[in-house]
Amino acid sequence: MNRDYRFAAAATALLLGIYATGAVSAPKYGGILKMEHRGGIASASILEEATFSTVVPFMGIFNNLVMYKQDVAQNSMDSIVPDLATSWTWSPDRTKLTFELRKGVKWHDGVPFTAKDVECTFNLIMGKSQDKLRKNPRKSWYQNVNDVVTNGDYEVSFILKRPQPALIALLASGYSPIYPCHVSAAQMRTHPIGTGPFKFVEYKTNQSIKVVRNPDYWKKGRPYLDGIDYTIIHDVSTSVLAFVAGKYDMTFPTNLTIAEVKDLKKQDPQAVCKIEPDNVNTNLIINRDSPPFNNPDIRKAMALTLDRKAFVDILFEGQADIGGAMLPPPQGIWGLTPEILKTIPGYGPDVEKNRAEARKLMEKAGYGPNNRLKIKVSTRNLPVYRDPAVILIDQLKQIYIDGELDVVETAQWFPKIARKDYTVGLNLTGNAVDDPDQAFYENYACGSQRNYTGYCNKDLQKLFDQQSMETDKAKRQKLVWEIDKQLQEDMARPVIFHARQGTCWQPYVKGVTVMVNSTYNGYRYEDVWLDK
Amino acid sequence: MVTYFVRRLLLMLLTLFGISVIIFALLRIVPGNVVDILFDAAGFVDAADKAKIEADLGLDKPIPVQYAAWISGLAHGDLGYSYVSEKPALEEILPRIPITARLAGMALAFSILFGVPLGVLSAVKQNTALDYVLRLVSLSGLSMPAFWLGLLLLMAFVATTGMIPIYSQAPKSFWDSLLMYSVPAAAVGFRSSALIMRLTRSSMLEVLRQDYIRTARSKGASENSINYRHALRNAMLPVVTVIGIEAAFLIGGLIVTETVFNIPGIARFLVEAIRLRDYPIVQNLVMFIAVIVVAVNFAVDILYAALDPRIRYSN
Amino acid sequence: MQSEEYAAELSRAGANVGGRWSAALFLARRYPLGAIGAAIMLVFVFAALFAKFITFHDPLATHAAQSLAPPSAVYWMGADNFGRDVYSRIVYGARISLAVGIGATALGCLFGVALGLLSGYLMGWVDLLIQRVIDILQALPLLVLALVMAAALGPSLRNTIIAIAIPLIPYVARVLRANTLALRELPFVEAARAIGMSDLRIALRHVLPNTLAPLIVLATAQLGSAILTEASLSFLGLGVPEPYPSWGRMLSESAAEYVHTAPWLVIFPGIAISLAVFGTNLLGDAVRDLLDPRQRT
Repeated sequence: MNRDYRFAAAATALLLGIYATGAVSAPKYGGILKMEHRGGIASASILEEATFSTVVPFMGIFNNLVMYKQDVAQNSMDSIVPDLATSWTWSPDRTKLTFELRKGVKWHDGVPFTAKDVECTFNLIMGKSQDKLRKNPRKSWYQNVNDVVTNGDYEVSFILKRPQPALIALLASGYSPIYPCHVSAAQMRTHPIGTGPFKFVEYKTNQSIKVVRNPDYWKKGRPYLDGIDYTIIHDVSTSVLAFVAGKYDMTFPTNLTIAEVKDLKKQDPQAVCKIEPDNVNTNLIINRDSPPFNNPDIRKAMALTLDRKAFVDILFEGQADIGGAMLPPPQGIWGLTPEILKTIPGYGPDVEKNRAEARKLMEKAGYGPNNRLKIKVSTRNLPVYRDPAVILIDQLKQIYIDGELDVVETAQWFPKIARKDYTVGLNLTGNAVDDPDQAFYENYACGSQRNYTGYCNKDLQKLFDQQSMETDKAKRQKLVWEIDKQLQEDMARPVIFHARQGTCWQPYVKGVTVMVNSTYNGYRYEDVWLDK
Repeated sequence: MVTYFVRRLLLMLLTLFGISVIIFALLRIVPGNVVDILFDAAGFVDAADKAKIEADLGLDKPIPVQYAAWISGLAHGDLGYSYVSEKPALEEILPRIPITARLAGMALAFSILFGVPLGVLSAVKQNTALDYVLRLVSLSGLSMPAFWLGLLLLMAFVATTGMIPIYSQAPKSFWDSLLMYSVPAAAVGFRSSALIMRLTRSSMLEVLRQDYIRTARSKGASENSINYRHALRNAMLPVVTVIGIEAAFLIGGLIVTETVFNIPGIARFLVEAIRLRDYPIVQNLVMFIAVIVVAVNFAVDILYAALDPRIRYSN
Repeated sequence: MQSEEYAAELSRAGANVGGRWSAALFLARRYPLGAIGAAIMLVFVFAALFAKFITFHDPLATHAAQSLAPPSAVYWMGADNFGRDVYSRIVYGARISLAVGIGATALGCLFGVALGLLSGYLMGWVDLLIQRVIDILQALPLLVLALVMAAALGPSLRNTIIAIAIPLIPYVARVLRANTLALRELPFVEAARAIGMSDLRIALRHVLPNTLAPLIVLATAQLGSAILTEASLSFLGLGVPEPYPSWGRMLSESAAEYVHTAPWLVIFPGIAISLAVFGTNLLGDAVRDLLDPRQRT
């Protein structure tokens, strides 16, 4: 990325943003935003958690080096703006990324922010520091980073093993906050200290979270809000009722189903609701080591019998997307286009024809109407998992497979999958950043911990690296399509659909942007204000 | 009496010891531990990190050693730390107790306030239309799932008043808390009031057939005086015992009601802690509940023994 | 003993006991509420037994086009979000609910009876030990125990039954023990012992049949509460899992999302549960009145 160009683009976008809001009405200061929280927070430390339950309330505590511009709904390389870094440059061989850092920034406890803090943060993630994270789910994001080095107090460089232009996309995620050196990883779990627009006040387990305005925030004039109060509500029907009764101003982001949004709108027609993809896809995992699923014909038959449109119609009233590993366009940047999808087995519109073909494959493997294959379909004991599994079992009936649902408790799900103690499973895969570097390596690379089916294709792996190093966007796009198509044809992890979820807020809440291709990056909330 | 008292006390301690062993063992038999939960959202469990966290939490030690550590901690008033929030378990549990106690107390008050008078009325007006209606209402109270009743009440309340009686912050005044707890208390109490009403009715009827009531009647005591001065007082004895037992039972209704009304009490917290395999919270909370149940039973036993000497010797 | 008491009761009440039918008719007249309860239960038992013949859709088959179809001539009680026929699911759901209710009650009674008999008859240290076990089980809140069991065993129909049955054991055992204690002092038991009958034989031949009445009273009362406990477990995500049509889950899951947009998903399962439990309660009351005259009201 050219530094000057980036700067100009950012400045223009900023101007446009100010212009756009200015035209409506000038933002007002003050007020506490009351939000619902769905619960499920293990700790306040974003670096240790892998759920937006933690990111949503705590992203505003922190700053990143760079971030996705908060009022642009689609995250892309073009929407990345400076945050704690004021600018960045790539070395000519593109293996060194250098950030110039903002001066005069202070942590919430008054300690000045310096390049050392950036170094500490990444040493923590890469496991190089004395202090250790209790859990470290983001370690794999930075496998290509050799070292993070400082040059004085206000410059820091990432030394890479090979070029990786998309590294900046990972750094812009809500999952990549900068932590202070002087606060232990353990304290960050219970009382996080950041440089962001909001300061942490308290987290009452399973009850509430409070953050307040940081009066010394380095970005002048932000945030607008005096604070945000989150009330944790576990029961969905209670939470919808509470919103309708005016107990809070905004629902937990991207957490309502289409039916719930409908229910809420019916009771409160004034509510502003957005239904957007959250970049979580529902997929089929088949244990290729367990007979008869070591027979590729049976795996193919299972993929062929999927009536994806029926899933989308039933679970989302038509409002979800069909695609491959990457979120499909227009919301997704890298996903397969409908034209390419059509050419992949099982994606054709004629479901009956596909199923006839599937039955032939099953018959070839020795199954038929009188010799049906009995299987267990394992899935987690949560409605988002169970509901599609019910449809899957019904669809498998068409090809002589009788599935029985095996619901697994949360505490046992991933250990069970890791043990390969399943034959067929229904799984959800969420992608924090809409970038192939995250999705491919995490879910499809040989030996990756999240590659549950153990799919391993050495040739494809080379293409992963190739696309990752490619700087030309059009060329990279072609490579990504090629890879994604191959993944679907290999039935690595047949993707059934990409979900969409709803967020609602009262009309007087202004400046909220629901991101359309990730649900982990848009919660800084420094631009949100209340028109009351 | 003293030997009886001591004997009961020892038995009570034995029971509590048994409960502590059972809950401790049960939790560790349940597959999956807190570390699996902690890793859950990450989509994988890192074996090395898992082993390290288990060691930090002491989960790698033999189970008897873990048990001894827990009990000796309890003896010193140290309940350990929540595995998830890393705060002292006592700090997590203590603020929730008054919330649940208040809800349970109001539910109990509700059930007595409605159950006893309606039960008496039903008995006095036995086999009249009123009796049948009251019996049917009480039966239907026992027939509805608790969460369903709570949700219906909640929806009706929102639809009619536009307000929602759920817990969002600690109530500031007595009236605040009365307002906040009354609907959930009614939801929990409805079922108990139905039980108490049925019980009051049947024990009232039994007493009304007794000789001394007939005597009172033959002596010309007024019907009201008979019903309320003589019969009710005697009919209350078994009812009071059941109210005691019912108080322990309330916890089941509290779990779903606290969920529906989003009340941060111990019942919902316990369910959540079971799901998270947060052993220190579950163990200590279950022990807390057990102590209360056992203590209530103990008090009832002692009271009975004091009232009825036969029990002391026959048992 | 059982039938004798029953006949005695009938004749005492002045019934003209000519045959089975007239006896039933007499009982219905004497216990009208109980008769209603019995009728309700009969309907559900009938539905459970002949589900196949009185439904016209596969309760598990999904149809995208029929998702959330309102009640109509085809779908009498509408369709759920999967496009599954709610009427068929409720009819088949009677099987699940009755299986849970009867299964859990039977299992709980079986173990409760065994413990109670042993405890009451053998006395001594066995009694002391069993008493402590019962105390322990009783001091753990019912739903908490069920929750831990459901979590331990994993959600399935069988495990739900077990989870609900365990907390039942102490109550049954307690009643059985009290009755056994009273009975073992009675002359006919002492006579049996005098002629050299073994303890086990006395317990099974003489003591058990004589405690049947309170047992039946207890069991009918527990039937409904087992069905309700399943619903509560479902609400907390631990009941009988999909795709089995469990009323509790149908109710708890649709209550969340469809109460305003598709109320038939909430109303019908709610009615089914309440009616079934109502029926068992009415029946339970009548059975108690019939078999336990001391408590007659």
